[in-house]
Amino acid sequence: MSEFAPLAMFLCTFAVLLSGFPVAFCLAGTALGFAGLGVLTGDFDSAFLSALPARIYGIMSNETLMAVPLFVFMGVVLERSKIAEDLLETMAQLCGSLGGGLGISVCLVGGLLAASTGIVGATVVTMGLISLPAMLKRAYSPAVSTGIICASGTLGQIIPPSIVLVILGDVVSSAYQQAQLKMGNFAPVSVSVGDLFMGALVPGVVLMGLYILYIIGLGLLKPATVPAVPDEERAQILSAAFLRRLGAALVPPLVLICGVLGSILFGVATPTEAASVGAVGAMLLSLAKGHFNRTTLKEVMRTTTEINAMVFIILIGASVFSLVFRGYGGDEAVESFLTHEATGGVLGSFALVMAVMFLLGFFLDFFEIIFVVVPIVGPILLTMGLDPVWLGVMIALNLQTSFLTPPFGFSLFYLRGVAPPEISTPQIYRGVVPFIAIQVLLLAGLWFVPELATYMPAKVFGRG
Amino acid sequence: MERLNRFIVHTVPWLTLGMVLVTFTVVILRYLFERGWVWMQEIALYMHAFTFLLAASYTLSRDEHVRVDILYRPMDVRRKALVNLLGSALLLIPCCAVLFYQSLPFVANSWAVLEGSQDGGGLEAVYLLKTAIPLCFVLLFLQALAIIHHSVQTLRTQ
Amino acid sequence: GQAEQQAAPAVQSQQHFKWKMVTTWPKDFPALGTGANNLARSIDALSDGRLHVKVYGAGELVPASGVFDAVSGGTAEMGHGAAYYWKGKHEATQFFSAVPFGLNAAEINGWLRYGGGQSLWDELYADFNLRAFPVGNTGVQMGGWFNREINTLADFSGLVMRMPGLGGEVLRRLEVTVKALPGGEIFQALKTGAIDATEWVGPYNDLAFGLHQAAQYYYWPGWHEPGTALECMVNKQALEALPTDLQAVVEYACQAANDDMLSEFTARNSQALKTLVDEHGVQLRRFSNELLAQIGKVSAEVVAEIAGQDPFSSRVYSSFDAFRKNSIAYTRISEEAYTQARALTFG
Ligand code: NA
Ligand code: NA
Repeated sequence: MSEFAPLAMFLCTFAVLLSGFPVAFCLAGTALGFAGLGVLTGDFDSAFLSALPARIYGIMSNETLMAVPLFVFMGVVLERSKIAEDLLETMAQLCGSLGGGLGISVCLVGGLLAASTGIVGATVVTMGLISLPAMLKRAYSPAVSTGIICASGTLGQIIPPSIVLVILGDVVSSAYQQAQLKMGNFAPVSVSVGDLFMGALVPGVVLMGLYILYIIGLGLLKPATVPAVPDEERAQILSAAFLRRLGAALVPPLVLICGVLGSILFGVATPTEAASVGAVGAMLLSLAKGHFNRTTLKEVMRTTTEINAMVFIILIGASVFSLVFRGYGGDEAVESFLTHEATGGVLGSFALVMAVMFLLGFFLDFFEIIFVVVPIVGPILLTMGLDPVWLGVMIALNLQTSFLTPPFGFSLFYLRGVAPPEISTPQIYRGVVPFIAIQVLLLAGLWFVPELATYMPAKVFGRG
Repeated sequence: MERLNRFIVHTVPWLTLGMVLVTFTVVILRYLFERGWVWMQEIALYMHAFTFLLAASYTLSRDEHVRVDILYRPMDVRRKALVNLLGSALLLIPCCAVLFYQSLPFVANSWAVLEGSQDGGGLEAVYLLKTAIPLCFVLLFLQALAIIHHSVQTLRTQ
Repeated sequence: GQAEQQAAPAVQSQQHFKWKMVTTWPKDFPALGTGANNLARSIDALSDGRLHVKVYGAGELVPASGVFDAVSGGTAEMGHGAAYYWKGKHEATQFFSAVPFGLNAAEINGWLRYGGGQSLWDELYADFNLRAFPVGNTGVQMGGWFNREINTLADFSGLVMRMPGLGGEVLRRLEVTVKALPGGEIFQALKTGAIDATEWVGPYNDLAFGLHQAAQYYYWPGWHEPGTALECMVNKQALEALPTDLQAVVEYACQAANDDMLSEFTARNSQALKTLVDEHGVQLRRFSNELLAQIGKVSAEVVAEIAGQDPFSSRVYSSFDAFRKNSIAYTRISEEAYTQARALTFG
């Protein structure tokens, strides 16, 4: 029974998740159920379960993840004090008669914000809070609105700086070391997070460009789903009053967001530090606008608390799941499958790995996947001759697509968590489909034209 | 349980503001005054950990934990109650039991040596931080009981 | 009854054991992670497969910071790391890995095995239900990676630097904000600006982490870690549950690993240093004598102060310090005199 346990656990978790009970407890509960069964039949070493508190403590003491509540705090302040809404609306008015103007603004702001966090949970939640009400107010179709938010929220994974790329860079680098050591090179070339950042830059920007093209297309072909700003509002555009409003609505938050982003991009501050500055800045902005008082503050704190609990309890659930998966030898099963049973050479094996990671992306957070899968398959694939930067960017793009794909994509869960009840889940699912198509297009492009990822690092760092 | 949740909602959220302000102070000290103390960063980290561990049950009571709700959402009240009843009894309570039980020796060992920070100049209170783990699952367990109670009532009356 | 009794020893010696080894290193990390792998492999080979050890990289079973608890509590039977990571458990742990201006690799092996160090270590770890074995040594480490030149003590002030153990405590007195990040998190932290400077091990490992891509000045010598001992800890009950021959296998496999890792570092570090300088244009810098003397003074105060905090730490310190005094006298006219003599002709 034990060799089928990892697969059975997967399928069972699928079914249990569909019941609609909270995700975190479905992941943990099903996994622990399997562990308990295994302990009874002797297929599962109960000592594994005693690793759980240390893993939870690892999540609690992870300083990188502390950026999440701080970014959420900033997002909630921007939302509650209507700063973000004003910003998006003003940007949309600037787009003039172009249908989809607001959507494009969301995409750009999402890309900006995403770039500053790179944490799917934080970005999707923040964007959901900020821009969903604005879009609905403008009579955007709910499906299109949620699609744009989910997609631009996950952009953060691929547009540097991104925590996914940082962690992936770490793991790919050590896999690359091993691959070279295995091949007898004891003064190995290293691949760094910097290489991966550079590698992801072009695909990330292309991706955002494709999103925007799609929204422009919608504006031309189906203007009802992304209505332009009404004529009477546009008429005021060049008035002095509008320009003043423009200055007031556009400049401060853009300065704030760019400051936060810039300080991370240029390595001045860590995401956590930048997020705290952003949060304080947002409070000051809202204070200046006269929107900030005790009630607002209480609401902000309460919402931040709930979202923080929601995100981190999922992380704990995913950690329980992956521990039990490992305890059943799921990691070894994957390894032996790849090395012995997969045929079709290096690209065949890689395609298979990508498919598996895509499926894992439904259940596990990227930390879990990167830590579980890449150390196992990375050295094998790199020994077969794949380029490490290309491998890293492909993995990041693949996971990003996975997090966007219904019914289990994490970004959909997170958006569901903050979307108003009037929006139905199928609407969210329908909305992301075109964006998934764009993702797949880019993945295919990257597959056949690896230079999209490898050119920049080679150019800048002289790699390759 | 309701009174407990009310208590949580009036206290725990302040930690998020504390986190923002402490981290901001760390940033100011670091970049403007070139000074830093590990214990300040750890205070923010403690606040973050306490926030999500202590608020997990309250968040559950507000139904703010994410669900795959493609089938759940269209269900009527009775069916939803059934899902929550079974989920709490078969998934959540076992989780709480296992995680609570496993965390006891982990926390006890930490108390036994009054475990301090791994970093010099850090907060010497890792044992308090670790204590939040079993506490989280006790609270979640109580909340699960409350949900079961509520679901049974719904199933009886509707 | 009699037949069973006769059969018993044979049955016991054929009994198979499956152990888990958790490590503080990223999986298969050069020399440290692979050192853990080699240890597991040699235990397997020496026991003819009767004791099989599966190695888990940091985060696979427990995070790097959870290794001590995991072995102490029986989650895993073995752990591989360095004792100064467990300062939060007891200050005295730090003496069994590295002390600023303390013992070099050969000396710390001498102290542990023939100078009374091991029995103190056993006494300390017994309280945590553990046995510890030295299981490798990095040799003299490098002084660290910086993005600005360090000429005076004031240049340290205001830095956020990664440095574990007592060296970290010394830097803290020099107004450095000190972090003890596990290895796997260093590059990320340096690149994102969470830290301004770091030390890690030496050329071989530092090259493998790509630290030269995040900082430009590479300082020497590593005053803070003159020969860091790595440790293998074993859960006491798990060890005692083994038949005596397998217990010996564990002990001697650790001894072999202790020798092997130092040999690997000796060979690879010099090769990697050449790569760093020739191919990556890394700027080598030496801490000035004046600076080293000042840091040395602070180090002596810090170590004595920490040793004075509890009776056990002071026992460890006095044993350590006595050994160092004797070593200094002999090392001066042996290793030190010899390397200087060699340099006269060979540079
Ligand atoms: Na990003
Ligand atoms: Na070191």
